Order: sequence, then structure tokens, then C-alpha cells
Amino acid sequence: MKERVILHCDINHCYAQIEEMMVPELRHVPMAVGGKSEMRHGIILAKNDPAKKYRIQTGESVHEAYQKCQDLVIIPPHYEEYLYYTEKVKDIYREYSEWVESFGLDEAWIDVSDCLSLFGSGLNIARTIQKRVWEEIGLSISVGISFNKIFAKLGSDMIKPMGLVEISRDNFKEKAWQLPVGDLLYVGRATLKKLEIFGIHTIGDLARFDVEILKRHLGKMGEIIYWFANGYDQSEVARIDACQEVKSIGNGITTPKDIKNLRDAQSVFYVLCESVASRAKEKGMAGRCVSIQLRNTDLKSFSRQKTLVRATNLSDELMEIVTELIKNNYDFSIPLRSVSVSLSHLCFESEKVQFSLFEDEMSRQKRYCLEKTIDQIRLRYGFGSVKRCSMLLDEELSDFDPKGSHIIFPVGYF
Amino acid sequence: MLYKRYVDVITLIDKQGRLTPLILRWENGVQYPIDRILEIRKAVSEVGGCGILYRCRIQDQERKLFYEKNRWFIESTKP
Repeated sequence: MKERVILHCDINHCYAQIEEMMVPELRHVPMAVGGKSEMRHGIILAKNDPAKKYRIQTGESVHEAYQKCQDLVIIPPHYEEYLYYTEKVKDIYREYSEWVESFGLDEAWIDVSDCLSLFGSGLNIARTIQKRVWEEIGLSISVGISFNKIFAKLGSDMIKPMGLVEISRDNFKEKAWQLPVGDLLYVGRATLKKLEIFGIHTIGDLARFDVEILKRHLGKMGEIIYWFANGYDQSEVARIDACQEVKSIGNGITTPKDIKNLRDAQSVFYVLCESVASRAKEKGMAGRCVSIQLRNTDLKSFSRQKTLVRATNLSDELMEIVTELIKNNYDFSIPLRSVSVSLSHLCFESEKVQFSLFEDEMSRQKRYCLEKTIDQIRLRYGFGSVKRCSMLLDEELSDFDPKGSHIIFPVGYF
Repeated sequence: MLYKRYVDVITLIDKQGRLTPLILRWENGVQYPIDRILEIRKAVSEVGGCGILYRCRIQDQERKLFYEKNRWFIESTKP
């Protein structure tokens, strides 16, 4: 088989850089993009280079960031702009190949194997793309070039900003193997801990380890990361017109005040469930697995899930299961700070199902029609036009529109 | 020092959908015909923002006019 040439392009601290591009004065002051602190969604989403000097970190709260640097300028996120400009960047990528796969807003893989004779070597194409994005859109990107997606991503992470790293078959043992194993895609905190027990600290350690032992202790993922480390990743870059298959539908929120009891939680979950159910119905899908994620004020989080006999996309049914999950798993001894719900194991709602003898199918159909109608009313007259009475119990907690303000996050690699 | 100024521009859209800026209208109502377009390319502006750059000559001065999303701005010498 012909050797593939894959680029991975990463817009350096994307949100902050787009803000700087739009308002160049921000380049000279410590600046971060963050949520509104009065609504408590206040975490730092991205920061610029001057802010990095104050050791401000992505993901920490706005409050913590202010303590490190009092003059920090916090800009609320402008998602519309980020979507627009990152799409412009990807338009440039798409001029070079029809195999462009997005990984979140700011990252993308490009398979240029078939256009080397047109545009020159992988390194050349990478250099041209980098130069064009800088001159035409004013954003710096780091590019990794390699023979598979995993090493291409490693390469783009190595030098920031404006990095250009080629990891080839001849040099991957020197370049990639010396990196800490945590840099590898899909080696998260939990996996990292397990690997440390085996004395695996670098990607090279992992590549030389016994795959059978990894498999026994880490399961399927153990084997996969072993192949990743050895450069055997064969996964293809998706075509630009390929639709991402939906694997789960979820919504979550950090509430403006703490959730102290079951009733508070229900107010919030009702809104979330309605949004999830409505989005599922829009896609013509239903799910069999309902899971909730809870995070308390100590910032400890956990999730619980339940698998159903029959797939659903009704908000009432979702809510029932969510309530049951909360009741069985949380006592509210510590208030909750953020919650989310998601629906997975999706299938098409038009799939044939076995009706239950003990369930009233007619009333289920009626409820389905009712919810669809409510969705249509909301589409036309706004989210607030029809509300459940229970949402009026605590408007501070339930006054948000997760569906309308939904933002796309990177999806999994598989 | 240059400043970002959004301006009214009388524009010709031809049959192919190409834009040609013809006259720039300043806020005080004064109109400045664009004498010549020297260059058209995608570019980022040093005053912030990016789009399609029309490098123009207006009354013997060279100015950078940008078409950003759906409106025009100029790199102005006056604030």
C-alpha cells in the first residue's frame, strides 16, 4: 500500500486568537475568553500569550484567574464568530484535499496523499497552508505531518505557535517515543495512572510493552493505545461531505445557583430533558440508554446510567428515569453545581418495535404528538412561549434554553 | 496609526456575482470615488478583522478597503 501523508492542523489557542485577530489591541494585554462569572459559568475557555505568563490555565474558574492576574481582560465568548472564522480556515484546507475531517472547531486532519503531485510534498503543503491561514485570516496554526492520524496529531501538539513537525517512519522512534504517554490520544488521567503502575511513562515505553498484559488490565483500549504508540493506526480521514454519525445526544448546565434538593434538580432536569428529547425527535432518533452526570460544589463529579427495554425520545419518560436515577444515587448532602443528561444507544425511531402488553400504546402516541407540537410552537414563537408549570417554581434555575444555545464540542475519535 | 472605520460603499455586483466598490461615502456625506483597484485578495487587516482586501487608489492616495462578511471597512488614518 502507498504510504499515506496526513496533516493535522490545530489553531493555536483558538478562541483567544480569533478575539485577538478581531481586536489586535488585545494582543498586548493578558486576555482570556471566559464565561460570565455572575452566572457562575465562569471558566476560562482560552487565553492569550501574555495571560500564559501569569500561569492562567484553561478550565480554571474566572475567579481563580483574577487572583493570579488582577488586570486580566475577560472577553465573553462569541461562538458565532468562532464558527465563522474556523469554517473559513477549513475552506482553505479543503482547497488541498477532499479528505478533511474536523475534530472540534479548531482541529482538523487532512489526507493529502493523493495530491502530492499537484502541490508538492506533505511538508510543502503544510507550509503553504500555514502561510495562507496566517496571511488571509490572521491566525497561527500548528501542523503535524505523518503517515497516520495519531502521529500527525502528536506532531501538531509539539511546537506552539506556528509549529511544523514531521513524524515519518524513519524518525518516529526518536520524535514520538520520547514524549510522555499522556500526550497520546485517548490516554486520559485514569489510563495514565494504570500505565504508571507498569512503569510506562513515555510513548516508547508503551510501544515496547507486552500487548497481552495491556489487554488484560486495560481491556480493548489497552490494545488500541498499544497500536497507536507503534504507529499502526489505519483509520481514515473522513471525506468533507461525510456526515458524522450521531452517537449520543446530551445537554448540561452549570446552574446560576446551587441545587439543594430533589425539587431544584427536577426543575433543571425538566428543561434539559425537554431539550434532549426535542433534539432526538428532530433527528428522528430515539435512545435506549439514559445517563446523568452530576457535579457537586466540591467539584467532584460522577455519572449514572440506566438502559431501557425500549428506546424513547419522550421528555416525560426521560424525566421519569432521571428522577429515579437521582433518587437512588444522590442524597443532596452536598449541593450540586452542574448537571447534565444524555441519551445514547441511539436508533431510528421508525425502527420496528415490539409493543408491550402492559403499556398503553395509544397514550404514548398521544404524548409523542403533543411533544412534537410543543416543539413546533417553540420553533415559531420562541423557547419561552410554552413552559411547564413546574418551571415557574424556580425561574432562576429553569430559565435557560439549552437547545437554542447548544454548542458543538469535539466528538470521540472512534 | 490606523483605525478601523466601517463605511458606506456604493458597490457594483456584476452578473458573475463579483463585487466592485465604486464610491466610498464618508459619514459627513462626502463621497470619494474609487479611482482604481490595484489588487484584490483575501487578507487580514492590521486594524483587526479579515476578509477580501481591495487595495484602492482614492484621490492619489492608496487605501486598504476590506469586505468583511457583509460590510465594508477601511483602514483609516483618521479615528
